[in-house]
This record gives sequence, structure tokens and C-alpha cells, in this order.
Amino acid sequence: MGEVRMGIVQCFTLAMLFELGTAMVVNLGVDTGKDAWMSVLLGGIAGVLPFIGYIYLYRAYPDDPLSRYSRKLLGKYLGGLVALLFILSFMMMAARDLRDGSTMLVMATMNRTPIFVISLMMILSSAYVAHKGVEVLARTSLLFAVIVMLIGGFCGLMMIFSGKINLLRILPLLENGAWPVLRSVLVQNYMFPFGEMICFTMLMPYLSDSRRGPWVIVASMLFSALLLSLTTVMNLSVLGADIVARSPLPLMPTISKISISDFIQRLDVLVVMVLIIGVFFKITVFYVAALVGISDLFGLPYRTMAYPAALIILFLSVMNARGFTEHLDEGKRLLYTVFPVFTLALPALLIIIAALKRHRSAPRPD
Amino acid sequence: MRLQRRIAAIAVCCLLLLAGCWDSVELNRRAIVAGMAIDKGPSPEREYMLSFQIIVADEITGKNSRGNSPVVLYTGTGRSMYEALSNASKQIARFLSLGHIRVVIISEEFAREGIKGIMDTLERESEARLTSLMFVARGQMAKDCMTLMTALGKIPANDLVGKVENTSSTFGYNFRMEVDDIIRGIQVPGGGALMNGVWVSGDKETGKSNENMHDITPAAILRISGIAAFKGDKLVGWLDNGEARGVALLQHRLTQTPVVVHTDGNLIVFNIFDNSVHLKARAADPEHPVIMIRITQQASIKELNGNLDLMNPDMLKRAEAELEETTKKDVEKAIQIARSMNSDYLGFGEAVERSNPRGWKKIEDHWDDVFARCEVKVQVKAVTQSTEMRSRSMKMPE
Repeated sequence: MGEVRMGIVQCFTLAMLFELGTAMVVNLGVDTGKDAWMSVLLGGIAGVLPFIGYIYLYRAYPDDPLSRYSRKLLGKYLGGLVALLFILSFMMMAARDLRDGSTMLVMATMNRTPIFVISLMMILSSAYVAHKGVEVLARTSLLFAVIVMLIGGFCGLMMIFSGKINLLRILPLLENGAWPVLRSVLVQNYMFPFGEMICFTMLMPYLSDSRRGPWVIVASMLFSALLLSLTTVMNLSVLGADIVARSPLPLMPTISKISISDFIQRLDVLVVMVLIIGVFFKITVFYVAALVGISDLFGLPYRTMAYPAALIILFLSVMNARGFTEHLDEGKRLLYTVFPVFTLALPALLIIIAALKRHRSAPRPD
Repeated sequence: MRLQRRIAAIAVCCLLLLAGCWDSVELNRRAIVAGMAIDKGPSPEREYMLSFQIIVADEITGKNSRGNSPVVLYTGTGRSMYEALSNASKQIARFLSLGHIRVVIISEEFAREGIKGIMDTLERESEARLTSLMFVARGQMAKDCMTLMTALGKIPANDLVGKVENTSSTFGYNFRMEVDDIIRGIQVPGGGALMNGVWVSGDKETGKSNENMHDITPAAILRISGIAAFKGDKLVGWLDNGEARGVALLQHRLTQTPVVVHTDGNLIVFNIFDNSVHLKARAADPEHPVIMIRITQQASIKELNGNLDLMNPDMLKRAEAELEETTKKDVEKAIQIARSMNSDYLGFGEAVERSNPRGWKKIEDHWDDVFARCEVKVQVKAVTQSTEMRSRSMKMPE
């Protein structure tokens, strides 16, 4: 598809930043207390399974985004409807992440700045990169992945040197048995953030290496799962399960505990940086996925709808809910109702039809 | 090209204006709070009395110094923490910057009534940080502990931080307790928080002025005094002597401490410079858990008043046995007092939980009873690493 290409390394970093995105700073696996890190890790592994299904579809249609092969598989009208629904869901997810990100910034640092202004700034920077196209986005991700890894490595080392980690705080393992962890994986952790990889079905046609590319994304997912799990272990062992469970952004107080002879301290600004970078990539990937879909479905040039879509995302994010609690509550309900439709049910349907088609059209041995 | 440059220039100018957005407060509009004292006010409308020790930057840097006090104390009152904090703005010309609070002192009166309300604000406020140290003003107004001039260092709050760190690393009866340590302590089922006590000795009125530093002997001194033990979020008692050291040891927070022992009429002072503490519970039967405490201590001899032959390993072993006995007594005293206060701030419950999570679920609701009667085995081993720069004492006959 076109001249635009994503290299192997770039698609690794893009998927990684997308996964870490908001998940790095928010509270993952709240219900599982001390074992949250296990549910995050298992969630990552469970999240790979649907992605293998998406790879199957990609193998069948290596040059088409989801919006095009859905029409090839389901017919012009039904397939078009499905593609439209996917585009809407991507825009909605982008809007949700925008709201998440800007509210978290307001909570953590800028208490008096209007959310709308922060959202506007974020979506404008997203729109700028999205306007430049997929390749620019992928290259940008490489640059920022290096920054995020440096920050992560620095904070991790400082945390170890400052001696605030007490691993006794995550013991005993599986205090309430394995069931709560599995339940948390099944209802939540496979989906957030790993199930959201559905939007990569729109970007995979741009892979430069169609053979190894998808597996690099899988590796990136597993790597991010490991990083997220390590972050959770750090939060729990520094703050204890009780404080973590009550914090919407546990990474900030965790990092703020770093203090090396009263000289290196207040590193929580770095967390804010990671938050901004992560949210940026999360929004932009969804947003670009929606744009690719729009241009494909309606036959418009890619850039025409960039700014209108940005406006839609911005207003969706603002009108979404009155407050953050309401927004989170809505997110929880979507997690059980709408998200599984888009990440599991519809792709499963497409996979089954694709498999049937391939089976029927396969040359039969005599 | 020209147009692009112009746009870029406008964008850069916008960035300068947008830095920090609505929340930007320039440095010269900020009042840096170094310490905070929380007292109970006289009436419900003024229940919370918050005093802020604010750094006067001009006095610290010296260039524009007018020779006045380096810090200034303002007090706000209100029905809640945040109301009192906001109310203080009536007296303060600058925006209160809570990000650099080093110490928080709570009055004993408040501590006895419960501090959950206070802790909520301290952990919720996004500017405040968890690394502030917490203290209880022992029988005094917390405010009084904030108003003493100090000779070493200009900012009294930093002076107090230095005192805790210094006494923790040399005397060992106190240790750093930060905001999140307190919160975790409160939230332990059946347990409670621990907080260092502070106390002002001497003439408080003179202590407020520069005169406190004029004489060689300061008129008033703020000192660390004991550990406040809590049941949940309510202060129930004070730990002062050996028990305070026992608690520090059981919390893995003892670094160095002098121990005085008597052997055959000799007075020996050991300096313990390394401790390893293993606290495990044997809780196959959760109703009757056995707490196993194994302590290994490394010591050196700092003082010998007597004629003990230190070159004789057998003699030294007798002294070490006394040392072990003293440590054991400290720990047992600490446990006994924790039981008399009915508060498991030593973390025995967590040890039981770690060793038998399922059993813990059964006894969690009546852990107070189990804690009061559970068996504790303390085993101490002490090793003298060296006798430092002399072997035999002067008193030793040739």
C-alpha cells in the first residue's frame, strides 16, 4: 500500500509506547491487591491470543486495512457498516484516552488549568503528527521510546539506590488463591491495554517486512507486559498494596519517594513526561487508525479528514462525562459491553469467514 | 521560507506564555513552606490550627539579608485541614508552596483523637510529598516546636530533619518516619503507626528570637524524644528506653546504638554497628502462632571501665552473652509494651499473614486476642568484631 513504510524497530517502539501509554501510570489490576503484577503479566500473555487472530487476517490480506477486508469478507453494505463501526470505536477510544490523559495531568500537576485547554493542546500535537502520516508517527515513536526507556532506567536505578523497595510488601503471593487473579485477567487485564491492539490492524499494511513485522509487534506486547508488571511490582513494594489501591496514579507517589541524600529528589516530573508521551501515542495511534479507515471507506485523501476528525475526538472527549469518576465508571461499563465486541466478537467473525473462504477456494488435491 | 520562520517565532512566543498554563506561579510569588505544625484549636469552627514555617529567601541568601529571622511562622484556622490552609492566606502575601515541606508536627492532643483526617490531606494533595517526616509534639503545642531559632543551619525544619537522621545513625532509639510509613502503619489490621516525638526544653519565649543563638548555651532546644505508638490512628502511648530501641530493631531500622553491659564488675560499652533481623511466624495453627525472631548483631568495644582481659576470647564471650541478654530484654520489653497497648505496630500480624495466608483470614478479626497471647521466641547472637584501638584497659594490672 503506497510508499509509506514502517520499519521493524519503529513498529516495535510504536507498539511499545502504545501499550505503555496510559497503562504505565494508572492503577492496573486494582482488585487483585498484592498480586496485581501477576494479573498484568498474564493479561499481556492473554492479550497476545486475539492478536494472533488479527495476524491471521493480516496474512490473508497483507495489503488491506481492516476496513477494506471487512468489506471483502462481509460484502459491500454489511462490511461497510462494520468498518464504520470500527472507525467510530477508534475515535471513541482516542477520545477516552484524551480525557484520561488531560484529566490526569490536571489531577497531578495543573490543578487550575481548564481540561479543555490541555485536551486542545494534546489533540493539536496529535493532529500535526497524524497529518504527516503513519511513517512520521512511527519514526517519532522511535525517538520517544529512547527517552522513555532512559527515564525508566534512571528512575529504576535511583529507586534501587534509595533503598525504598521492600519486597516483603508483595508477599504472600496469591493470598486469596489464584481465582481473583485469573478473574481480573479475564474481565480486565487482557483488554486494557493489550486488547486495544485491534487498531494495529489498520496500520499493519504499512509494515515494511510483512513476514516478521507482526511477530515483532507480538514481542513488543510481551515486552511491554513485562515492563508494566515490573512497574506494578515497584509501586506495590514501595508504597504497599493499600496506598496503591487508593491511588489513581500510583507511579507518581512511588517515584516521588526517590531521595538520594536530599539531592536527587522530586523525580515525579519525569512521570508526568512519560504520561504525556504515552498518552500522545495512544491517542495518535487510534486517531491515525480512524483516519486510515475513513480514507479507505469513503475514498477520501488521507489528509482531508485529519483536522475534522481531531475536532470530533476533542469534543467527544469533553462531552463524554461530567467528571473523572463518571468517565471511569463509563469506561468500566464499556469494558464489559462494547470493547469485547470490537476486539473479540467482530474479529472472530471475520476470521471464521476468512477461514471458510480460504478453505473453499483452496485448490483441492485430487 | 520567511512565512514559516514567522510562524515558528510566533509558536515559540506562545510556548513561553503557556508554560505551566493557568497554574504557573513565579518563584517570587511563592512562599516555600519548610515545616507545618498541626494543633487542635479552641472551638469546632477553628478545630484545625495549621502553622506554616515559611522560608524567607532573602535572609537565607545573605545578599539582601536584613539580619532578621530566616523563617516566619503564620497560622491559619478552620474546620478542616484544607480550610485552615486556605485561611492562612489572609496573612501570607504569597502562594503557599507545599512541595518542599520537610517536617510535619502534630500535637499530642490531636494524635490521641486520631489523625486519619490529617493524613488524608497529606496524601491527597498533589503538591505535598510523601517524603516529609512526621512528628508528635510531646505534651506541647506543635506550633511551639516550630518557633525555635537554631544555631546550626538557618532553617529550623531542616535542623529537625538533621537531628532525626543523626540520632538514628548514632544513638538508634529513633528513626526516619515518613508520611507513607505512617499511612501504612495505620492501615495494618490490628496495628498502628509509629512516630517520633519532639519536645522543647528551656525558655520557649527566648527561643523565638535571635537571642537563642547569642549565648553558648541556647535558651531553648528542640529535641527528639521517644517514639509515639499508635493503635490505628490514635496515639496510645510513648516508647522511651530500651523498648524504643527494640522497636527500631524489629522494624529493621536500627543502624548504630551503644549498649552498656556489666560483667564481673566491669562496665563495657559496645557499639552495635550492624544488625540483621529475621522475623518469621510459624503459623500452621493460626490460633496459636509462634513468632520466631532471630537477631544477629555485630559490635565493637567503645569503652571499658574495668580490668577485663579483652584478649581472652572466653572473657569476651561472657561480655557478649550480656550484650545478647540486653538486646533480648529490649525486644521482649518492646513486645510486652505493644501487647499492653494492644497494638501490633511490630508487624507480627503481617508475618503470620505471609506464612499462612489462609489461616490469617480466620484470625484477622480477632488478631488482637491472638497477638496478646501468641508465643514469641527471641534468639540473639552478638559478635564482637574488634576492640578498636586498644586491647587491654589501663586498669588492667600487668
